[in-house]
Amino acid sequence: MSVRIAVQHLTKTHEGRVVLSDVSLEVRSGEILGLVGPGGHGKSVLLKHLPRLLVPDRGHILLDGRDLATLSGFDLARAREGFGYLFQNYALFDFMTVADNVAFPLRQERSAASADRGGEQRGVASREQQIDLRVRERLAEVGLERAYHQFPRELSGGMKKRVGLARATVTNPSIALYDDPTAGLDPVTSSRIFALILAMHRKVPGCASVVVSHDIDRMAAIVDRWIVLEHGTIAFSGLRADLLRALASAPPDGLLRRFFGDPAALPSHVTSGATA
Amino acid sequence: MTMTAVFAPVGRATLHVLATLGGAATVFGRVMRSLFPPRFDKSETWRQLFHVGVRSWPIVAMTALFVGAIMVIQTAYFVRRTGATSFLGYGVGYSVFAEIGPVLIGLMFSGRVGANNTAELGTMVVTEQVDALRALAIDPVRYLIVPRFIAMMVMLTLLMVLGDLFAIVGAAATAQGLLGFDWRVLIANLVESHLLDELLMGVVKATSFGIAISCISCYFGLGASGGAVGVGRATNHSVVANATAIFLLDFLVGWLFTL
Repeated sequence: MSVRIAVQHLTKTHEGRVVLSDVSLEVRSGEILGLVGPGGHGKSVLLKHLPRLLVPDRGHILLDGRDLATLSGFDLARAREGFGYLFQNYALFDFMTVADNVAFPLRQERSAASADRGGEQRGVASREQQIDLRVRERLAEVGLERAYHQFPRELSGGMKKRVGLARATVTNPSIALYDDPTAGLDPVTSSRIFALILAMHRKVPGCASVVVSHDIDRMAAIVDRWIVLEHGTIAFSGLRADLLRALASAPPDGLLRRFFGDPAALPSHVTSGATA
Repeated sequence: MTMTAVFAPVGRATLHVLATLGGAATVFGRVMRSLFPPRFDKSETWRQLFHVGVRSWPIVAMTALFVGAIMVIQTAYFVRRTGATSFLGYGVGYSVFAEIGPVLIGLMFSGRVGANNTAELGTMVVTEQVDALRALAIDPVRYLIVPRFIAMMVMLTLLMVLGDLFAIVGAAATAQGLLGFDWRVLIANLVESHLLDELLMGVVKATSFGIAISCISCYFGLGASGGAVGVGRATNHSVVANATAIFLLDFLVGWLFTL
C-alpha cells in the first residue's frame, strides 16, 4: 500500500501548552486508520493538520510526497479537493438546506468532472441536474432522502452526522477524515455510522480513511491499523496482530489496557480481523 | 500605586486598539485582493445584499423619521427666536444630511447588521463551519467576507439616501403637525439651500461607515473562540469598535470636506 499522507515530527503548541510533540505517522492507500486516545490528548488537532487546516509549529505533512507547506494557496486548495472531512460538531452550514449542504462541495468544485461521475450515464443535460441526482443518491445511501428540504436545525444529532457524512463523501474523496463520527449517538445509530464509513471507504478504490473515535468496539470492526495518542505523543502504532501482542504484554493499568480492555475479553471481530 | 499599575492598563488598551486596527486593515487588504481581479461568490453576494437591505431598511427608516422630526424641533426653536424662518429648511437639511443622519443611521446599522455579522461569523468559527469551508477548498474570505463587505458598503450607502428621504418626510410632518410651519415652505427652503455638498458628504460618510463596519465585524467574527461566551465577547467588542470607528470617520470625512 502506497503512503498517501506522511506526518513527520509534527509539533504543535496552543497557548503555551504542547498539544502534539514530535508525532510521525503514515496514512496508506486503501487502509482505515483508527486514531484513539483519551480526550484532549491531540487527536482532533492531529486530524486537522492533515489537510493543513492547522499549521504545525514544527514538522512536515507530506501529501503524496509533496510538503503541504510548500504549496501555493491555489495548489493547497486543489490538494484539499481530494479530502473529505466529517467534523466532530457536524459543521453543517445552518443557512442551507440538507440538499444544499450535500451539494455544496460539488457546486464549488473547479471542474464538473466529479459531479459528472454519477450523472453521465443517465444522459442528464445540465450540471445542476447531475448534482441534484448525485445528492439524492447520496442522501438515499445514508437514509435521509426525506430530509432533502429540511434545515440542519430541524434534524437530530444522528441525522446531522449522516448529513455530514454525505457531504464529506459526496465527491468520492481519495482521503476521508472522520472526527468522532459517533460522539453522543445511540448504539444503533453508531453502528450504522461505522457501517456507512466502511461502505464509503470501499466505494473508492485506494481510499485512505482516518477515523478518530472513542467507540473502540464498533471501530474495531472496520479499522485496519491503530494509532494510540497519549499526551500528544504516539503511545502505540500497529496492525491488529501488533495490538493483540502489545495488549498481552501491557500492564493492567496501562493506557492500552484501559482503552482496549483485557485481550481475552475482546470481541471476536477484533481478535479475528473480520470486518463488518 | 506603582507606575506599572498606572501604565499597564493604558498599554493593554493601546495594544488592543492597534490589534483591532491591524486586524480590520488585514481584512480590508484581503478583500481588495479578492476584488481585483474579482474572485468571490456571486450568489452569496446577492443573498447578503438582500439580507442586509431587507433586514435594515425598517430600522433605518424609523431612525431617519425621528432624526428629521427632532432636528426640525431643534431648528424651529432658534428660527422662532431670530425670526429667520427661511433658515428652517437649511438648518434641518444640513444637520440631517451631513451630520446627525449619517451618524445615527450608521450606529443603528452597526448595531443591527454589524453585530449580527460578528455573531454569525463567530458561530460559524466555533462550530467549525469555517474550517469546513477550508476543508472543501473554499477560501472563507472569498465566500464569506467579500459578499458581506460589498453588501454592507452598498446597502448602507443606499439606505442613507433612503434615510434622507424619510428624514425629510419626518421633518415636514413634524413642522406641519406640531409646530405650525407650512411643510411646503420647509421643502422649498431645503431645495433653495443647495445642500448638494452636504448630501454628498453624508453619502461618503455612509460608504466609509459601511466599509469600516464590515471589516471590523468580520475581524471580530473570524477571531471568535471559546464557544458561546467567546461569540458574545466578540460581538460586544465589535459593537464598541464599530461605534468608535463611526465617530472617528465622521470627524475625518467632515474635516476632509472642509479642505
